[in-house]
Amino acid sequence: MDGSRRPFMRKALPYLLSLPALLVCIGILIPFGTAVYYSLQRYNLAFPMTRGFIWLENYTLLFTDPAFWNTVRVSLLYTLYTVGFELVLGLGIAMLLQRRSLFNNMMSILLLLPLMIAPAIAALMWKLMTNPGFGILSYFASLLGFPDFKWASASSSALFTVVLIDIWVYTPFMMVLLLAGLRALPRQPFEAAELDGVPQSFVFFRITLPMLTPYIITATLFRMLESIQQFDIIYAMTQGGPGNTLMAFQVAAYLERYQYTNVGRSAAILMVLWAITFLLSNLFIKQWLRLRERARGMG
Amino acid sequence: MYSRIQDLANAVVRRQLDRRNFLRRAGQLGIGASAATYFLNQAQSTALAQDFDWQKHNGTTIKLLLNKHPYADAMIANLETFKSMTGMDVTYDVFPEDVYFDKVTAELSSGGGNYDAFMTGAYQTWQYGPAGWLVDMNEFISDASLTNPNYNWDDILPNLRASTAWSGVPGAELGGEGAKQWAIPWGFELNSIAYNKRVFDEHNLTPPNNMAELMETAAKISTDVDGMYGVGVRGSRSWATIHPGFLSGYSNFNERDFTMENGQLMAAMATPGSKSFHADWVKMIQESGPRDWATYTWYQVGTDLGAGASGMIYDADILGYFMNGGENAEAGNLAYHAFAPNPEASAPTPNVWIWSLGMSNFSTQKEAAWLFMQWASGTDHALFGARDMDFVNPVRQSVWDDQAFQDRIAKSYPGYLEQYEASAPGSKIYFTPQPLFFNLTTEWASMLQQMVGNEVPVDEGLDQLAESVNRQLRQAGI
Amino acid sequence: MERQTTTGRVVRVMLLTLVGLFFLFPIFWVLLMSFQTNQDILRIPPSIFFEPTLGNYKALISGRLESTAGVLEIRFMNNLMNSVILAVSSVALSLLLGIPAAYAFARFKFRLGEDIAFTLLSFRFAPPLLVLLPLAIYFQQMGLIDTYIGLIWVYQLITLPLILWIVRGYFEDISEDIEHAYRLDGNGWFKTFLHIAIPLAKPGIAAATLLSFIFAWNNFVFALILASADKQPVTVGALAFVTASGIQYGQIAASIVLSVTPTLLLALYAQRYLVEGLSLGAVKG
Repeated sequence: MDGSRRPFMRKALPYLLSLPALLVCIGILIPFGTAVYYSLQRYNLAFPMTRGFIWLENYTLLFTDPAFWNTVRVSLLYTLYTVGFELVLGLGIAMLLQRRSLFNNMMSILLLLPLMIAPAIAALMWKLMTNPGFGILSYFASLLGFPDFKWASASSSALFTVVLIDIWVYTPFMMVLLLAGLRALPRQPFEAAELDGVPQSFVFFRITLPMLTPYIITATLFRMLESIQQFDIIYAMTQGGPGNTLMAFQVAAYLERYQYTNVGRSAAILMVLWAITFLLSNLFIKQWLRLRERARGMG
Repeated sequence: MYSRIQDLANAVVRRQLDRRNFLRRAGQLGIGASAATYFLNQAQSTALAQDFDWQKHNGTTIKLLLNKHPYADAMIANLETFKSMTGMDVTYDVFPEDVYFDKVTAELSSGGGNYDAFMTGAYQTWQYGPAGWLVDMNEFISDASLTNPNYNWDDILPNLRASTAWSGVPGAELGGEGAKQWAIPWGFELNSIAYNKRVFDEHNLTPPNNMAELMETAAKISTDVDGMYGVGVRGSRSWATIHPGFLSGYSNFNERDFTMENGQLMAAMATPGSKSFHADWVKMIQESGPRDWATYTWYQVGTDLGAGASGMIYDADILGYFMNGGENAEAGNLAYHAFAPNPEASAPTPNVWIWSLGMSNFSTQKEAAWLFMQWASGTDHALFGARDMDFVNPVRQSVWDDQAFQDRIAKSYPGYLEQYEASAPGSKIYFTPQPLFFNLTTEWASMLQQMVGNEVPVDEGLDQLAESVNRQLRQAGI
Repeated sequence: MERQTTTGRVVRVMLLTLVGLFFLFPIFWVLLMSFQTNQDILRIPPSIFFEPTLGNYKALISGRLESTAGVLEIRFMNNLMNSVILAVSSVALSLLLGIPAAYAFARFKFRLGEDIAFTLLSFRFAPPLLVLLPLAIYFQQMGLIDTYIGLIWVYQLITLPLILWIVRGYFEDISEDIEHAYRLDGNGWFKTFLHIAIPLAKPGIAAATLLSFIFAWNNFVFALILASADKQPVTVGALAFVTASGIQYGQIAASIVLSVTPTLLLALYAQRYLVEGLSLGAVKG
């Protein structure tokens, strides 16, 4: 960008523009540091006398506890299922709505409705719908030959139920990002492919998907962040139960902190979650940056 | 009649009438000696109370943290009385119960003095007390300059006073040596059976008198009555699943949560007696409990009974009480029954839940807060709440003795008083106090869920539970 | 650009119907429920024939639920207002901070630029509970606990990264030529930014606003931990219908419907930008 007569101002400008945002967020970094410090302490609020620095003991206790590995498993499975299904479903719906028409535009707004219902409230809604007495879904299930389907209250179907709710709430998010991507794609390659009579599956896998990848990465990144940190839906549905079936990271940490007052252990659980999130996000963002560089290079 | 006897009692206080003549004339009014003495005591303390300065903190504003509950509603309905009596102002925050305790913990652990007093359960004080968040109420109760002479602390049922006091030593007896009064009992519930009398009559059923009968009756309802399951009990992954019917029945078979061995707390859930009780309980839920039992809190248990979806509940007595009113489909059809599951037990042993008032240690106006607490837990408000609102069960003996209260309950809640009288003597907190209460009891509930879900056999599950509980106790240095 | 055969069209309509059913039927059912009394709702088996009542909405809006058990005070409208205050101010602040930053990242190649951008995005990685854990204590000390300002600050964790990411992408996709031309006419940088760059980026900004508004609106745990009852949003308020004398299913349903209305209105307003605005700095031909 040229034109500025003062070279200093020109250099400082981008910093001045981005600094306020950074500063506001840095404030949040201080508590983050404190949380790291807590995770290195024996720190249960109900035992004030035993508080003290114990280095990595919270972590070693976690890593030798089968319950913790269950938590890792639950969170990763939850993330895999929700993000996977939402990606496929969201892409499918986006392709159905790809053509610009009044109907398609209205439909895409209507389909956004579930996203507007807070997950905590959506869980409440699904609780009503899966109530074995008056719940409409239980009624449908019984019509379909499952009179005794227990939804979230049996460990065999609990994960299915919360994943279903997550899919219901968040597929629209995936859908709208991918729809934006699809509509922004350049027309020439598709027109050329059509002229050449290239089969549609080839067009999809060799043209559409690769060109859509930056969108897919972004949408998946945001969804993954939320899925691995899922709290609202699971806590409202079963508080991590039945048994330990749904004991995801943030649910476990919440219970440790606000019900068992074990701050040290809670912080350690959350630090592990943060580390996993950070690693996964880095992979995504690196990939995204690379794709973008390549696209810029071409353009 | 009451105003006559009160006049007479006041006359004694003014020394216009001697005690013997007072009792004689009370007799003429049809009032027995003990009741007459009560009125006399009351008149005497009223006179004394005129010396007590309720206006001492005139102009002060205190803030309360409350749970959405009929007890809180009753207090709010009567709050103007307190405000005009003291010249103080009271503001309050009400949170839904789903998040209430988490909110209290969050609030107290941030060390804030936002709230001066709050609603709490007794179990919670086993955490809050050692953490240093609560005031030992003994300091106030025993200080005559701060406590109005009418307060009559001893009128509060002794089991409840003991159950809200603890020395902080894990495993030490509640209310025992060196106990600190961490909270003031406010209203309480004990656990018994509430059942749908309409349905029981239609199907010639009688309320059960032991565990086998409970299971049998429940199973019969599930199979015979269309659209109804047998017995409602809680099942969510929470300590609240263990403390009502479950622990009451468990204790009736003389089973304990912990035992003291060589000065160390040891898990006692893996005994043969415990295993057989767990097996029965699990079978009962599998055969005739609610289908989505694993998500059941007291709200679902109650709503189902009120809506006619369940035949009976083994839960808090006041839950059955609440469901007999309002817009519930079965309002008016519910009846109550004291329950001792162990055929060899002489009486029921209900574990109690005590909604209590606690004072925040971070409060900067503790004396003013105490003024509020002694009013809210005092006899006048308790009588108001018990006669006109749903402030039941009352924690004061004098309220249970109150004729207007008794009449009201006997009229609208048949069998409730009998249920209470049979249950009350054996009722107390049967948990062993220790600060890991929530941790370990939630784990217990989680294990129960796994047993009901057939994920783990009862025996094996309890062995695992005991082992895990012991490990955590040792880790915490208990 | 896709071939429309008759079978293709039929399949497409069928698939869309299925999709519509799955995503919209629950909302339709809750909408029906909100016009039913508790007795109607609890009927087994469920039925769509009932006498509609406005009682649930009346109770929510007037704040009083009158039943035979007495009068129940409901503060739902207060909760709704709080949600509006929190979501609107958080998004507004995020736009104020985020748009200039997004512009800087898109238009300037500067040292640490990518690092700052990444750092800002990475705030989204921190689990909310991890931040809340000590934040409550700091807020207590700073007097920010139980204030809208404190909450709005924490909400930046949700809204700011999303706005930055989307708006930056959009800026990168707009050609710089118009800005250049405008500046060659002698206009300053700030004027160019205000009169050219922002209007051009309007679709991106609108889409980002809508999405971050939704995520702020849906938050549950921040206010619960950090604020008192009179500052709780609808997400917490909707729990209040679980009462000792039974669960008020009809009011839960009505509260869900009311809680969606403001976002829906915003979405309808912003709909023409929504899809066009979400160009995420991707490949453009």
